[in-house]
Amino acid sequence: FHIRSSYREQRLEGRLSRLQSAVDEYNKAKNDFAAKATEEEMRLLRFQRKMDDEKGAGLLGLSLQATMEALMSLGLHKQAEQLYKDFRVPDKRYWWLKLKSMAEKEEWEELEKF
Amino acid sequence: MAAHLSYGRVNLNILREAARKELREFLDKCAGSKAIVWDEYLTGPFGLIAQYSLLKEHEVEKMFTLKSGRLPSADVKNIIFFVRPRLELMDIIADNIISEGKAHSSRDYHILFVPRRSMLCERWLKEQGVLASFTNIDEYILDLIPYDGDLLSMEYESAFRECYLENDQTSLYHTAKGLMTLQALYGTIPQIFGKGDCARHVANMMLRMKREFAGTQNQILPVFDTLLLLDRNVDLLTPLATQLTYEGLIDEIYGITNGYVKLPPEKFAQKKQGEASKDLPTEPKKLQLNSAEELYAEIRDKNFNAVGAALSKKAKIISAAFEERHNAKTVGEIKQFVSQLPHMQAARSSLANHTSIAELIKDITTSEAFFDNLTVEQEFMTGVDTDKVNTYIEDCIAQKDPLIKILRLVCMQSVCNNGFKQKVLDFYKREILQTYGYEHMLTLNNLEKAGFLKTQTGSRNNYPTIRKTLKLWMEDANEQNPNDISYVYSGYAPLSIRLTQVLARPGWRSIEEVLKMLPGPHFEERQPLPSGLHKKRQQGENRTTLVFFLGGVTYAEIAALRFLSQMEDSGMEYVIATTKLINGTTWIKSLMDRPESQMP
Repeated sequence: FHIRSSYREQRLEGRLSRLQSAVDEYNKAKNDFAAKATEEEMRLLRFQRKMDDEKGAGLLGLSLQATMEALMSLGLHKQAEQLYKDFRVPDKRYWWLKLKSMAEKEEWEELEKF
Repeated sequence: MAAHLSYGRVNLNILREAARKELREFLDKCAGSKAIVWDEYLTGPFGLIAQYSLLKEHEVEKMFTLKSGRLPSADVKNIIFFVRPRLELMDIIADNIISEGKAHSSRDYHILFVPRRSMLCERWLKEQGVLASFTNIDEYILDLIPYDGDLLSMEYESAFRECYLENDQTSLYHTAKGLMTLQALYGTIPQIFGKGDCARHVANMMLRMKREFAGTQNQILPVFDTLLLLDRNVDLLTPLATQLTYEGLIDEIYGITNGYVKLPPEKFAQKKQGEASKDLPTEPKKLQLNSAEELYAEIRDKNFNAVGAALSKKAKIISAAFEERHNAKTVGEIKQFVSQLPHMQAARSSLANHTSIAELIKDITTSEAFFDNLTVEQEFMTGVDTDKVNTYIEDCIAQKDPLIKILRLVCMQSVCNNGFKQKVLDFYKREILQTYGYEHMLTLNNLEKAGFLKTQTGSRNNYPTIRKTLKLWMEDANEQNPNDISYVYSGYAPLSIRLTQVLARPGWRSIEEVLKMLPGPHFEERQPLPSGLHKKRQQGENRTTLVFFLGGVTYAEIAALRFLSQMEDSGMEYVIATTKLINGTTWIKSLMDRPESQMP
């Protein structure tokens, strides 16, 4: 239904409006979880577009986790941190990610500070 | 070629021969030279019915794979399309015909639909303006394909998805038809048992089809005593668990399709001693696996931990047999030895193959990741902490392990806990969406709809009751010399097979309570036999049950049924039929939806 068609939308605006209809449908069906998850996806897409425009990060369409990972590898730690707070990512998963990213970049000094 | 089909209790080669006969008849209908255009999906199953040599005997000169555009050139009188009745394939055929144009006006086109022709497809071809180009449109009814001496499969991949997600009962119709064909060849099955909505449906269709043929009595002495129809959703748990039999593990790790497995070539390279070692084979090694291979028949259903011992025992026997030649003194003895050589060499190469495979598998089963995963599975099955978020799953998600692995574990936990608390379920779903992407929303929806994931509704968790009543967990599973079916999962006895076992003895009446907890109705039907066909059973003769799994069966479950057949005091032999041979991974995959993103 709406989600499927949203992926067929080439342009972001079209995709967002499809997702909005999905949110409406989910609300009608009283599926709170799905409605909320869809809203979050819309928020993520908007964020990704902003980042792409500002920094040319190429994030659009990635999952939240992959977005944070990409941000970290670009050195945009503040933005990654912001996502972590905004989307209430569980601490455990976030720290895993942070550790991995630091290890990959061999920022051992940063790692020490943990 | 197909000798292994006739070893079993029921000679399944009869079915194969019937299928071959029908194929020959169709091919002869199109006189002259032929080229076959294959729907690629069908080539595997067809390979089990007829080799190329049979087709060649009937003037099939060329074979192509169906794809759009022009047909490859071939100087033949007939072009035959072997296809499943699917609209997207009709488009390709129409495209083929149109681009062929008038170039070959003397050529005849034919379509053979497998397993049924469809009005919709023919209409579609008509609208494309190509229907008139076909001389013959026919159907080739291939429902149940014999895979081994005791195993039939329809290889209908989407059956589970269609039945439990999309409410589409086409596959059940094919099942009922397939069972009718089987009864026409092997006699009416007097007793039908079943559990589940789909089982009920199939039984109803069978009884109705039988009434339609009421005039003609089947005069064949029945081979099967009982038919047991089982819905896959009665036992969602078993396929989610990692199979621990040899064949099961090969399937879990490398995937077995249509009786063949593709293995990484490195391990098999050193066998060609004479050749230069630099040209290592890069193509995966393809091996056929069935009970025609003596050694494989012996070890396929063993717990993997018992395979090593069996292989080394076999190695000793074979080398002892080769040593025999030193003892051969007379010409007669030497002659006898030489006559056995081909057999012994085959045995030796089969031993080498399986030793290599076992080594490959062992590398994986001894890894930490495999062990951790198995430990968690076993905790779930024994009911340890199934009601809260599992830290192992959480860690796996954080490390972005393959999504299917996560889904298998989460679903398993849900099934063992009869659903999650809302909070736990939402946590998992959020984790999955945030890590693997929002597009998996659809997959999660599917899993919920099919009953894998759910929230606990009022009633308490009944899994422990089921586990205890059916003895699903055996502490002392003996892997080397099994005395119970639980050996196939090193402790867990597959629920589906316990149901089968209890049905044989003491009967389902003893477990009414548990049956009520499992989804769908359970029922019993009788099909009256004409007098004179009632079997006079001799003392000690075993009864035969056909167990039909609607929605798929795993190799480990098959192993468990074979084990029951071999138990001396069971008095029952089993033949297994299914819509599809599955494992947890292929099963979950069939339920996944992944929209293709076209974002730039």
